[in-house]
Amino acid sequence: MEKQNLPVIEVRNLKKHFKVKNKGVLHAVDGISFSVMPGETLGLVGESGCGKSTVGNVIMRLHKATDGEVLYKGSSVLDSKGDESMDFRKKIQIIFQDPYSSLNPKKTIQSIMEESYRIHNLCSGNERRQRIEEIIELCGLEKYVLEKYPHELDGGKRQLVGIARALSLGPEFIVCDEPVSSLDVSIQATIINLLMDLQKKMNLSFLFISHDLSVVRHISQKVAVMYLGQIIEMAQTDEIFANALHPYTIALLSAVPKINFKEKTNRIVLTGDVPSPINPGEGCRFAPRCFLCRDICKTQKPDLKEVEPGHYTACHFYEESREKARELEAGRK
Amino acid sequence: MKKSELLRRMKKSKFFVIGLVIAVFVTLAAFTSPLFVVHDPIQSDLRKRLISPEFLANGINGYILGTDALGQDIFTRLVTGCRISLLIAAAGVLIPALIGTALGAIAGFFGGTIDNVIMRICDIQLSIPTMVLAITVMAIFGNSVPNLLLVLAIVGWTSYTRVVRGSVMGIRNSEFIQASRVLGASNARILITQVLPCVLTPLIILMSQQIGFVILTEANLSFLGMGVPLPNPSLGSMIADGREYIATAPWTVVVPGVTLMIIVLAFNFLGDGVRDILDPKNKD
Repeated sequence: MEKQNLPVIEVRNLKKHFKVKNKGVLHAVDGISFSVMPGETLGLVGESGCGKSTVGNVIMRLHKATDGEVLYKGSSVLDSKGDESMDFRKKIQIIFQDPYSSLNPKKTIQSIMEESYRIHNLCSGNERRQRIEEIIELCGLEKYVLEKYPHELDGGKRQLVGIARALSLGPEFIVCDEPVSSLDVSIQATIINLLMDLQKKMNLSFLFISHDLSVVRHISQKVAVMYLGQIIEMAQTDEIFANALHPYTIALLSAVPKINFKEKTNRIVLTGDVPSPINPGEGCRFAPRCFLCRDICKTQKPDLKEVEPGHYTACHFYEESREKARELEAGRK
Repeated sequence: MKKSELLRRMKKSKFFVIGLVIAVFVTLAAFTSPLFVVHDPIQSDLRKRLISPEFLANGINGYILGTDALGQDIFTRLVTGCRISLLIAAAGVLIPALIGTALGAIAGFFGGTIDNVIMRICDIQLSIPTMVLAITVMAIFGNSVPNLLLVLAIVGWTSYTRVVRGSVMGIRNSEFIQASRVLGASNARILITQVLPCVLTPLIILMSQQIGFVILTEANLSFLGMGVPLPNPSLGSMIADGREYIATAPWTVVVPGVTLMIIVLAFNFLGDGVRDILDPKNKD
């Protein structure tokens, strides 16, 4: 019973700062925490440059965390060494954004797929071949692609190979770093549905990083909204889309294009640009663009707190912002 | 790539076929020469100096391509010289290629301080004139083939380092490198299995171009008396020796000169052909 309740991945107060020459410190990820349960998908949304991909990279140890912890079923991933670290490599995998650069152009798909088994010295010869074929077919590809080079496949197939590679070691948690944003819409749907199928079959957990709200809404059970390196709101997917509390989330949702042309859209257009993440000041990071900004916002950073069961937000005036959201909703009808 | 596909592409590339045929022919002729030459490549006979080419008028026993100022048979010296030049070219390409590739891959892959150190050494090397370096090395260590290779290695490694470093820097942040890392691959494994295949094509092209350069450098050094120690023939020293007689006995220069040109051209063709064949994006 206890094991059931243990998250697959728990991120605690994760920070990643980059030193920028002569400018200071870039706070790419600044103290974020979340957890992902078995079989669950957490959507991580935010605009470009808010640090969402960096979160994925730090979890995969492609960047060294400045501070904080990543726990896989309770044991620390970031400090692991040797065999333990190799075990985490099997259990935690990533699907990359760009299927054109994620496959070595000089290698056949067969050789790309074999790499993981070679690294971990797992099965050989026929058994290896068989397992690779199984995974390839599981991902909706046919065996003949194994003999191809990446450039002989289209973007969608390449991304499927990327997914197959991530699955080859039997992972439990996969970081999907904008896996569909460089593909065209029809293929996006295929990939998303495949990911959801695989999730059911293999009880996978996803961290689904994306800027596409409709995709995230479709695939995620929980959504976390990031702004300038911090999570500013996190809740169940339905809750976020129906009852957003943070002004940024409200503005973000109001920008989602609607198909119904009769419906009046009341967009909140944010003024200004995303401030630089280099040496951010005290106070709420969203304050310079916020329509509810008061003095306190500029000096005191709001903590991410649970304001309703399972609904976290980081805003001093979430009550007011909820009012604003309701007004918008009313205006729409 | 499958063998049949490789073979098909080889046949399709005219450059490769022409280059390969000439290179194989020259190499075979050079290395089997002891079996068929009748004259001594080193023994001089001043009574027979500067005989013009007889071609096959007197069969294999005649002076097929004439004699030089010392009465040595040019054909014999040519095939013997080719053997020496080709051996030096092979070693003079492989040794700096190995050193240069290793240093370039390390510099490009790891970056930072180690990159800086390697590239500054490269800059220093490039600021030393080849001839001055060669004279220094030969003066200190003496005139011999190993020392000649040492000079070629010191002169040659920088081009490999720069080319490989550039290619590696272009791919080191690629997602496929990250994918390997995420699967648990060590730096050494990534360098060997992921990075090196990607730099192979520029490396092979550079090596094929360097064959010509190395043969020419050796010729230069031999001309100055710092190459292959006398009296052993080499293409370079033969051209240098014939220089004085270019007006009266042009064959002394033309024969080794044209041979040199054909060999260099053949290896350049071969290199271009290999590039066409190895590039998976090259679709007929």
